[in-house]
Amino acid sequence: MDGIKVYINGKEFEGKTGETVLELCRRNGIEIPTLCHDERLKPYSSCFLCVVEIEGMRTLQPSCSTKIRNDLKIVTTNERIKKSRKTALELLLSNHYADCLAPCSLRCPAGVDVQGYIALIEKGLYSEAVGLIKEKNPLPAICGRVCVRPCEVACRRNLVDENGVGIDYLKRYTTDKDFESGNKFMPVTKPDTGKKVCVIGAGPAGLTSAYYLSLEGHHVDIIEANPHGGGMLRYGIPEYRLPNDLIQKEIDSITELGTKIYYGKKFGKDLNYDHVKKNYDAMITTVGCQKGASMRVEDEDAEGVLSGIDYLRTMELTGKKFDFKGKKVATIGGGNTAMDCCRSALRCGASESYIIYRRTENEMPANPIEIHESKLEGVQYMFLTAPLKVNKDANGRLKSLRCIKMELGEPDKSGRRSPVPIKDSEFDIELDYILGAIGQKTDVDFLENINKNTEGEFKLNKYGDIDADPKTLQTGAKNIFAAGDAVTGAATLIEAIAQGRLAAKSCHQYLTGQAVVGECGEFVSKRDNFEEQDKKDYINEYYTQLREEMPVLPPEMRRNFNEVELGYSCDQAHNETARCLECGCEAYFTCDLKKYSTEYEINQKKYGGSFQKFSVDYSHPFIEIDNNKCILCSRCVRVCKEIVGAGALGLVNRGIKTFVAPSLGSSLKDSTCESCGMCIDTCPTGAINENKPFKPGPFVTEKIETVCNYCSIGCGITLHHKGGYFIKAEGRKTPANPDGNICKYAKFGYKYLNDSSRITKPMIKKNGEWKEASYGEAYDLIVQKIKAVKPEENSFMAGGRLTNEELFLTSRLARQAVKTNNLSSFLYHGRECAMKYNWFANVPFEDIDKAGAIYFIGCEIDKDNAVLGFRINSLKQDKNIKLVNIHKADDSSMNRKCDCSAKVDSYYNLVRAMNFIVVKDNLINKLFIDGNTERFEEYKADLLKADLSELVKKSGVTEEKVRKILGHYNEEQNSVIIFNEKNVSSQTIKEIFNLALLTGKLGKTASGVIALKEKNNAQGIFDMGITCCLEDGVQANMKQAWGFEKSECKKSHGDIKNLFIFGEDPVGCSDKAKDVSDMLKGISFKVVSDYFMTETAKLADVILPASFPIETGGSFSNTQKKIAVFETSVTPKSELFKDQLIALLNKLGVAVSYKSNADILADAIKIMGDGICSCDDCKYEFEITQDKCDRSGLKHGGDILIKIADDEFAEKLKK
Amino acid sequence: MEFRTHIMVCAGTACVSCGSFNVKKVLEEEIKKRGLDKEILVVATGCQGFCAQGPIVVVQPDDIFYQLLTPEDVPFLVEEHFLKGRPVKKMMYTPPGEKTEIPTMSEIGFFNKQRLIALRNKGLIDAEQIDDYIGRNGYNALIKVLTEMTQDDVIKSIKDSGLRGRGGGGFPTGLKWEICKNSKGDLKYIICNADEGDPGAYMDRSIIESDPHSVIEGMLIGAIAIGAHEGVVYIRTEYPLAIKRLETAIEQAREYGLLGKDILGKGFDFDLRIKQGAGAFVCGEETALLASIEGKRGMPNKRPPFPAESGLWGKPTNINNVETWANIPWIILNGADRFASIGTEKSKGTKVFSLVGKINNTGLVEVPMGITLKEIIFDIGGGVPNGKKFKAVQMGGPSGGCIPAELGDTIIDYDSVNATGAIMGSGGMVVMDETTCMVDVAKYFLNFTQAESCGKCTFCRIGTKRMLEILQRICEGKGEEEDIEKLQELAAQIKDSSLCGLGQTAPNPVLTTLKYFRHEYEAHIRDKKCPAKSCKTLLTFEINDKCIGCGACARVCPTKAITGEKKKKHLIDQAKCIKCGACFDICKFSSIDKN
Repeated sequence: MDGIKVYINGKEFEGKTGETVLELCRRNGIEIPTLCHDERLKPYSSCFLCVVEIEGMRTLQPSCSTKIRNDLKIVTTNERIKKSRKTALELLLSNHYADCLAPCSLRCPAGVDVQGYIALIEKGLYSEAVGLIKEKNPLPAICGRVCVRPCEVACRRNLVDENGVGIDYLKRYTTDKDFESGNKFMPVTKPDTGKKVCVIGAGPAGLTSAYYLSLEGHHVDIIEANPHGGGMLRYGIPEYRLPNDLIQKEIDSITELGTKIYYGKKFGKDLNYDHVKKNYDAMITTVGCQKGASMRVEDEDAEGVLSGIDYLRTMELTGKKFDFKGKKVATIGGGNTAMDCCRSALRCGASESYIIYRRTENEMPANPIEIHESKLEGVQYMFLTAPLKVNKDANGRLKSLRCIKMELGEPDKSGRRSPVPIKDSEFDIELDYILGAIGQKTDVDFLENINKNTEGEFKLNKYGDIDADPKTLQTGAKNIFAAGDAVTGAATLIEAIAQGRLAAKSCHQYLTGQAVVGECGEFVSKRDNFEEQDKKDYINEYYTQLREEMPVLPPEMRRNFNEVELGYSCDQAHNETARCLECGCEAYFTCDLKKYSTEYEINQKKYGGSFQKFSVDYSHPFIEIDNNKCILCSRCVRVCKEIVGAGALGLVNRGIKTFVAPSLGSSLKDSTCESCGMCIDTCPTGAINENKPFKPGPFVTEKIETVCNYCSIGCGITLHHKGGYFIKAEGRKTPANPDGNICKYAKFGYKYLNDSSRITKPMIKKNGEWKEASYGEAYDLIVQKIKAVKPEENSFMAGGRLTNEELFLTSRLARQAVKTNNLSSFLYHGRECAMKYNWFANVPFEDIDKAGAIYFIGCEIDKDNAVLGFRINSLKQDKNIKLVNIHKADDSSMNRKCDCSAKVDSYYNLVRAMNFIVVKDNLINKLFIDGNTERFEEYKADLLKADLSELVKKSGVTEEKVRKILGHYNEEQNSVIIFNEKNVSSQTIKEIFNLALLTGKLGKTASGVIALKEKNNAQGIFDMGITCCLEDGVQANMKQAWGFEKSECKKSHGDIKNLFIFGEDPVGCSDKAKDVSDMLKGISFKVVSDYFMTETAKLADVILPASFPIETGGSFSNTQKKIAVFETSVTPKSELFKDQLIALLNKLGVAVSYKSNADILADAIKIMGDGICSCDDCKYEFEITQDKCDRSGLKHGGDILIKIADDEFAEKLKK
Repeated sequence: MEFRTHIMVCAGTACVSCGSFNVKKVLEEEIKKRGLDKEILVVATGCQGFCAQGPIVVVQPDDIFYQLLTPEDVPFLVEEHFLKGRPVKKMMYTPPGEKTEIPTMSEIGFFNKQRLIALRNKGLIDAEQIDDYIGRNGYNALIKVLTEMTQDDVIKSIKDSGLRGRGGGGFPTGLKWEICKNSKGDLKYIICNADEGDPGAYMDRSIIESDPHSVIEGMLIGAIAIGAHEGVVYIRTEYPLAIKRLETAIEQAREYGLLGKDILGKGFDFDLRIKQGAGAFVCGEETALLASIEGKRGMPNKRPPFPAESGLWGKPTNINNVETWANIPWIILNGADRFASIGTEKSKGTKVFSLVGKINNTGLVEVPMGITLKEIIFDIGGGVPNGKKFKAVQMGGPSGGCIPAELGDTIIDYDSVNATGAIMGSGGMVVMDETTCMVDVAKYFLNFTQAESCGKCTFCRIGTKRMLEILQRICEGKGEEEDIEKLQELAAQIKDSSLCGLGQTAPNPVLTTLKYFRHEYEAHIRDKKCPAKSCKTLLTFEINDKCIGCGACARVCPTKAITGEKKKKHLIDQAKCIKCGACFDICKFSSIDKN
C-alpha cells in the first residue's frame, strides 16, 4: 500500500512503502549528511552522520536504516542533531591521520595549489598549470624567480633527501613555457558589473587585486607614482634576478583583462581622494614600503652613504648604473635587499663588496641560494659585525666605517640569538660607499586627504602601517581596503600577492552587497595535528632523488645585469616533478568527509588521543588502500560483496584498531579481487584510490558524459580530463546500467586516450616507408585505386567500435559510391548471416530481476561483461535467483558466484542433447510451439536422427547431468540463458534458441536469451548494414535511394584487389596472425583506419587517422539494440573519420552533406530501419543445425583498444 | 541399584579447576577399597555455586557439606564418615568470623536464602545423565505441552508468569514469543544465547554445565509455542565443558526421541545444533549473534526489523538466553501463578547472580526477586573480607553501573535497579570495598567495552576509546578540570548514537561512578590524589618512625630504592620508587605509609 504519511520538520510528506527516512528526505530535497550510505547497498548505519530525531524515540536514529511508517514525526536538524553530527565528525577525524593538502600549499601565504600544478607540469599541461597558479597568484613568472619559497621549506621531500622540491623553478619553467607557446593562458572574466575600483600602486599587491577584481567583472584603474609598474619588483630587485621585460609581460597579462594603469601619478599629490570618491565605488591602497630605514649610526648623512633601496631605485629610475669601478662598497644587513645590493655593487664595478652583518650566516634571513651565488661572485662577508659610526672626511664624504665585533647571546622574540657587542673590539674599515639594507618603512602622506572625505576613519597602526582588519583588509573607511607592505610592513612578494587577492575578495564582497568576511576557511585535516613528521617515516617510503640544479651563468660572466638563473631544461623539469611526494589527498575535491567537516566547522584536535597509523598499500596495480583515511563506512567491503560478489575486502580487528584489508591475503592482488574499481568509486574519502601511472593531482577536472567503448552492455561513463589529459573514469547511471556501476575496462582502460603515439595524420607508404601525407593526397590515391579495379574487387571491413554514423557512411561509401556489396567485419567474418538475429529474443536487462534462474553458457560474465554480472549478482543476493554456469574453461571464476556449474567439452552437443531429451521425452511446450513457431516437425525429424549417447559423450558430461541441467531449466517458470558470442558457435546459438522454443521460454518478460557481444557497437555492424546479407526491404531502400543493385558476397579473397579495414586489427588480434597477415599481403592495396600503428596498419598502403568517439560524437547500439547517443566533447586531434568518409564519397561523385550526427542517424534509420520486418506477428522458426565450429578467430573483439587493456591486465595482474 | 548414600562431588568449572576430579577419583578408589562401592555412589554434579570453597562435596541424604577438600583428605574422610559414621568437622564450613562449623548445607547462610528455579537441579544430578534429569521430573513439562496445551496456552502461561528476559534486557518473554509466533514465515528459528561475555559472570555456563536438559526442554517448549523446527545454541568456544555437556545432552535427547522427527510420537519435529562463537562480546547482541551464525563478521544491524520478524537468514527468530530457557519447564510444570507469586509487582520469579569481587562467599546464587542487595552481599555473600568496608556493587557487567553502599537497601527488581543507573544485566555482581578506586573501576569496564566494540559505529569505536583515554589521564594525575564535562558529554552522545546495546550502554560504568563518586574523580583531578589509594602513579610510599630497620623492604624493592643501615630507619628514594607496593605488603610493622 503506497502513500505513507510522514511529517518532516513539521511538514507533511508522502512516502512509499519500504522507503527509509533518508530516501524520502533526499527525494524531497531535504539535505541529510551521510558517509556510509550508498543507495546501491543495503542500509548499514555506521557513520552516524545521518541521525534524525523521531518523536517517541529516546535516542537519535540513523535515517539511512530507519524505515518510514505512518504518522512518523521526524526532525532532520536541530541543536542536538547538529551537535551529534559534529561530534561524530570530530571523532572520525581524531583518528584520521591524513593530509587534505600538502604542506607546501598550506605554508604558501597565497595558498597556491603546488601539488596540483606540479602534476599538470608533469603532463606537459603548462597553460593549465599557469591557470591553476593564477587562481591564487597572478604573477607566477615573477614569483618563479624571486619568491622566498616558504613552500620549499615546508616540502616533505626535505625529510627524504634534505632538499625540498624545486617548486619555484618549476613554476618559472611552466610560466616561461606558457609565454613561449604564443597562446598564453588567459582567464575567463565574468560579465561587466559596472562597478569601478581605484587601486593605488602598481606593485604586486595592487596588480594582484586588480587581476582578481577584473575576473569578477569590475573595472579597475591603477594609479602609479612611478613611470613603470611592478613597484618593488622593478625598483627594488635588480635585473639580473628579475628582468624588466618579464615584469612587463606579467603586467600586460593583467591589463589585457581591462585594467588601466595611470603612470606618474602620485596619489595625494597628482590625484586626490575627492576624485576617487566621485569616480569609483571602492579603493584599494597598496602603496608599499618605499622608504629605507635608517641605520641609526652617527653621521650616516655623509656623502656616499645611502639606503640600499634608494641605490637600487635610482639605477632603475635613471636607467644608469652607479659607477663603482675600483671602489669599496659595504652593504649593511643580511636580508634579500642586502643581497641585491652587494651583488649589484659588484656589477657596478666595485673592487670589493662587503656584507656587514651583526649575526652569523645561520641567522641571515636572505635566501641561501642568494648567499651562495653572492659568494661565488666574490662578495666578502663580515659576520658578527655591527656599524657604529660613519667617519667623514673634511668634505663630508664617507671615509670609513667604525664597526664593532659581536657575539651571540640569548634568543630574542624571533627565536634568533641576539647579538651582543664585544667590549673594546672596535675597528675601522675604509669604504667608498655604504648601502644600508636593514629595512623599509611605509610612507603614507595622504592620510588627511582621505579622512576629509570618509565616513569612517582611515588610520595607521602603531607600526606606522595602514590599519586594516587582518581578516578582510577593510580599513576603518568601509569603501577603502589596503594590502601589501603598506599593511604588513616590509614583507615578501608572496605575502603581498596573498594580501592583494584577499583585499580584492573583500572588496568584491563589498561591491556586491555581501557581508565583507574575506576568505571563508575550509576544513583541512593535517598529519601535523597528530604528530611532528619524522624522517624515518619518509626515508623508508620513498627513494632518494636529488634536486635538479638550476643552470646559472658562470660567475665570471656576471659583471653585468643579465639574468643569472637560466631556467630548467625540459628533462630537468620533468625529473623535478617526480620528486613531489604528493602529500595532499587525491580526493581533495571530492571528499565527503572534508565537505561535512567544513560545513560543521570541525576542530580536528578536539578529541585528540591515540590514533592508527598505516602504510599505504600499493600492492595492487590499479587500486591503492590508505587506511589512514578510512572511516570504516565499509562501502568498499559491501560493494565488493553485495554487488561485485567478489568479497575481496573485509574488516580486520575490533574497536579502534579495526581496518579494511584484503580478505584472506596480504595483497588485494592475491585475493578474489576482480579489479573493477567499484571500491574506488564508492569510497567517500580518499582511502581507496586509483593507483595511477601518473601524478593524480588532484585538480578540478572537466567532465565528459559518454558511452563506454569496450563491451556491448553500453554503459554510460563519465570521463574526467584537464586540458585533454584524461585522469579518471566513473560509472554513470544510464538505462543500460541504472546503478551507474563500472568494470575494469571502463575504470582503468581510459589511458589510451592520453597515448601520444596516436596517429593523427594520413600516412602513405612509399617504397616501404611511411610518409605523412595530406588528406587530399590520401584521398586521391584511394580514389585512383578504386577506379582502377572492378567494383566487386573492392572490399570493406569495419569493426564494432565505430559509431553507427561511421558504419553507415562506410556502407554508403561501399554500396553507393564503389558499388560493391563486399562489406563485413572480421569479428563476424563468414558467419554474419547466422549471428544477425542474436538480439532478437533478448530479455531486457531491466527485466532480469524477474527471472527465476539464469544459465550462463560460455559466458565469463564477471570478466567480459562485468556490469551485467554485477546486476545479476546483486539480484541474486536480494531475490535468490538461481545461477548455473556451463563452461569449457578448466577453472571458471564464475563457479564461485553460481549455485551450480558444469564443465563441458562441447556447448553444441550439450544443448543438442538437452533438445533431444525434450523432444524424445515429450517435455515440449506444445501450446507455445503450436501457437508461436514454425518448422517444428522438420526440426524434430532432423534432431531425432541423432544418437543421444553420442551427443552426451561429445558434450563431456553424463546424461544424468544433462537431464539435471535440463530439469532445472524447464521447471523454472522464468529461465534466462546468457551466452557470449565469442565463446559459442553460431550453430550452438541456434540450438540455444531451439531449446528456448521447445520449452516455451521465449518472448515472455523474463524468459529468453541474452546474447553478449565483444564490442560496444557490434550490434551496429548489423544495424548499419556492414554485412553482405541484407533483408529484401533494406535492399529495396538502397536501390531506391542509392541505386544500389545487390551482388553476391565475395567468397574468395583472391578476387579482392582493394581492401579497406576500418577500426579493426585482425592481424594483431588473431589466433593465426601469420595466416591473416599472409592473406592481407596477397591483396594489392590496403587502407587502414585506426588510432595506433597496429599490426594490421603496418601492412597497409594508406593509413587514415581514426576518431575517438568523444571527438566525433554519435551513437552506439548495445547488444539489446538500444541506441545510446553521445556528444562531441573534445577538439579532435585529426580530421574526423566521418568527414573523411564523406570526402571520399564526394570525390567518388556522390554528393553527400549531413549537418549533424543526428542527420546521419536519421538517414540510416530511413534506409536500414524501414526494411527490417517487425516481428510482432511473425512466428519464430526452428533452425536445423550442424556440429560445426565457426567461432571468430579473433581475440579482444578484433580491436586494438581491448587488446591494449587485456595486455595490461594480463601483465599487471599476473599472480 | 539402590545406594544408601550419594556423594555429590561438584564438577563445576571452579571446583574442577581446584581439583575436584582428583578428589572424586580418590573417593571412588577409597570407597572401593573399603568395599563400600555397593552402598555409596559418587556422583559428579554441576556447579553448587559456593565456588569460593571448592572443591565441594555434599553427602546425601544427610545434607552434610564438605569444603576445600584435597585428595589427601579423602582417606580420612571415608574412614571417619562412611565407615565409622562420624562426620568430619574440620572439613566442614565455618562462616568468617565465627568459630563453630556448620554441618549441613541447608543451614549455611549462603544456601538457605536462595530460591532455586533455574538452578533447581544443581548439585542434585549428574549433568551427563539424561535419566538423572528425567528422574527429577525432567521433560514432564514437554509432555504436558505436547499433550495438553495449545501454542496459545503455552504463550499465555509464560505471559502470565511474568517471566522477563534474563539476558539483561528484561523484555517480557511471553510477549516476545507471541510476536514471533504471529510473524509470517514458513520457517522460524529458536536460538539460545549462551554467549555470556561479561567479565566475572558465569551463570549461563554454570546452568549448561549442571543442567543442560533444562535448557533443551525450555527450547523445545518455545519451539512448539512459536512453531519453529530448528534451533541453535550459540555458545562461546571458551566454554569447553559446557559445550561437551550440551553435546552429550543433545545426543541423549535425540536417542530418547526428545529431539528430531516426530517427538514423543506427537508429530512435532525439532532439532538443535550448537554454533560455537569465537568469543566476541558483541555477539551477545542479538543482531550481531545472528550475523555470526550466518558466518559473517559479528556486527550488529539496526533494529527494527527485530529478529522476531526478520532474524536468522531473514526468517522470524526467537532468541532467549540460557537462564530464561531454563525457567520455562518449571513454569509449565508448576504453573504460572506459582512463578508469579515470587518476586515484586513487575519482576517475577528468581534471578541468578554470580557474586564476585571483595566478598567472602564468591559464587553463584539464585535469589527471589525483591531481595535487597544487602541481603545478597551480607547474608548470602558473607560480607566483605578482612574487615574492610563495603563500598559499592557493580551490577550488569560492562553495560551496568556501580551502586553505592548507601543504596544497599535497593531491591532486586528490574525497575529498582535501573533507577540507580545500573542494570540487572545478565547477573554479574562485583562487590567492591574501600580500597577500590571508582575511577579505576570505570576505566576497567570501559577498557573492556572499547576493545570489544565491533568497530562499526563511529561513537562506539572512537568515542569509547577517547573516554578511556580521559580516564587513563585522570588516573595518572593528568586530568584536567573540564575532563568530567567532556566525559559526560561524550557519554551522552555515545548512548544516543550507537546501533547496539554495547555502545548504548558502554558509558554506564562511567556515568554511575560519576553520579555517586564524583568526589573521587575530583580528587584525582584537583588534588592529584586517589582516595582509595589504588592508582599507583598518584601514590607515595614513605617510611615512618615505626621502622625497626629489619631490611625486609629493601630486599623486596625491585629498583633498590630503599636504603638504610641495619636496625635503623630506612629511607625510600622517591626518584627510584616505581610504586609497586612490594615494601608496603612485606612490612610487618606498619612502618610504610601509603599516601
